[in-house]
Amino acid sequence: MWTIFKKELKTYFLSPIGYIAIGVFMLMYSIFFYLTTIGYGSIYMGDLYYATARYGLLLIIPLLTMRMFSEERKNGTEQLLLTSPRSVTSIVLGKFLAAATVILITLVLSLIYSVIISFFGNVSIPTLIVTMGGFFLVAIAAISIGMLASSITENQVIAAIITIGVLVAPWFLVDINEVFSSIDLIDKFLKFPSGLVSIADTISLLSITVMCILLTIVLIKRRKTVK
Amino acid sequence: MIEVKNVTKKYGTTVAVDNISFEVKKGKVVGFLGPNGAGKSTTMNMITGFIEPTNGQIIINGNDISRKPKKAKKDIGYMPENVPLYYELTAREFIKYMAELKMVKRDIRKQEVERVIKEVGLEEVQNKLIKNLSRGYKQRVSLAGALIGNPDVIILDEPTVGLDPKQITEIRSLIKKLGRKHTVIISSHILSEISQICERVIIINKGKIIAIDTPENLEKATKEKNKISITVEDPKDNMKTLKDKIKEIESVEFIKDNNDGTKQYMITSSSKIDLRKKLFEVLPKEEIVIFELKKAETTLEDAFIKLIDTAKEGKNNVDNI
Repeated sequence: MWTIFKKELKTYFLSPIGYIAIGVFMLMYSIFFYLTTIGYGSIYMGDLYYATARYGLLLIIPLLTMRMFSEERKNGTEQLLLTSPRSVTSIVLGKFLAAATVILITLVLSLIYSVIISFFGNVSIPTLIVTMGGFFLVAIAAISIGMLASSITENQVIAAIITIGVLVAPWFLVDINEVFSSIDLIDKFLKFPSGLVSIADTISLLSITVMCILLTIVLIKRRKTVK
Repeated sequence: MIEVKNVTKKYGTTVAVDNISFEVKKGKVVGFLGPNGAGKSTTMNMITGFIEPTNGQIIINGNDISRKPKKAKKDIGYMPENVPLYYELTAREFIKYMAELKMVKRDIRKQEVERVIKEVGLEEVQNKLIKNLSRGYKQRVSLAGALIGNPDVIILDEPTVGLDPKQITEIRSLIKKLGRKHTVIISSHILSEISQICERVIIINKGKIIAIDTPENLEKATKEKNKISITVEDPKDNMKTLKDKIKEIESVEFIKDNNDGTKQYMITSSSKIDLRKKLFEVLPKEEIVIFELKKAETTLEDAFIKLIDTAKEGKNNVDNI
């Protein structure tokens, strides 16, 4: 698993994707910092993370996940992975963790603004940690969805569009029926910025993540027999 | 040691590989031969565990590839057909990554990387990005990936496609060298290559094995006629009536006029009769001067085409070869 993780993380930063993802995140984050915190003269960081989660993740998650398996399949390098003694599970987990690490890096970078704010008032550290934790949970759930999308097609663009579609669709579907709010990742983030650890939301975000990872593993294994 | 037992691969209703069985012993180089779409790559992909057979069993050094994939795959070095590589890595980084993927032990990893880089001749370009390498070098990087960790079984899918003649000779001698210690399967549709490198040939067509034998035996077995290529100076054009003088001749075929007063002919007789001695006796009497006379060898090429054609007609040659 660590072999694949190391290589994937390295690839993010060998190609511009890692830098673009972090750049886009910081740009979004800065814009929302201006709009929410500075705009209202507030020291409340919750809105900032909420807005970045809602719009920032939408842009950077597909960027991080679209090539995961699509590219390997298209270039035939999946042959190298799948004929190696490594298990499918360790390959999938390695790739997943690499993308999660990129998000973690952006979260660490995002602390800069909390440091700036701390000069003007007291930033509640526990609230900040809960907010960031919630943000991370939403991000890994989104990564697992993107990874699943990437494992079903060899076209990166299609993988990206599926990911965006799955992330965005619930926003509108909610108007048809309330039930769709249960698949809206951002909806599950709402409570975290106020410093509240919502067990229900945590479990549901984690179960989406685990389910998508398992599905990816099953799909890749299944492709061996139908391919 | 590779054992392939009654392996079938179906895609929906199409049968890509149809109940094939064969064995390759340690230290043997076996050639996999067949026209495009015969099932060569499918078979190799099954042996390496990339795809699962619909039916049958594949055993690598005693380990079933489906049941004990980790153990079986450790023993295999595979160079796939389209030379898949990570273009954003350097040659050296790629080989190092392959060593890690293949679980080459940490303490010998570095020296293994050095060894294969030297073995396939990548010293000069090892720190260049793979995307900037020429086709020949990419091929070598891929081969290095197959050789890393010194696996018992080496499977090379069309290893010399796209190489220049010098590189082809180098790769061939490397494969020959590998064959001393490893079990090697190579696929190719370049027949001369197979007959040079391999001790045994498996000919496959439409998913079925139509022959397994040494290249020499295949050539012999499919030989029907004895052909003699002859270049003569024949001012009186007596070659035309030669057939009447030597009864064993089946046909005399004019090949070309060399424009220096000599002409080239092909003389065919039944496979049991060697006409060379007789020709030397008879031709001078007919005022024909022999410039060159040689037996035209049947090649693996002929054997291949003939076997494929026979298979087309619905006959199966496995038993009588």
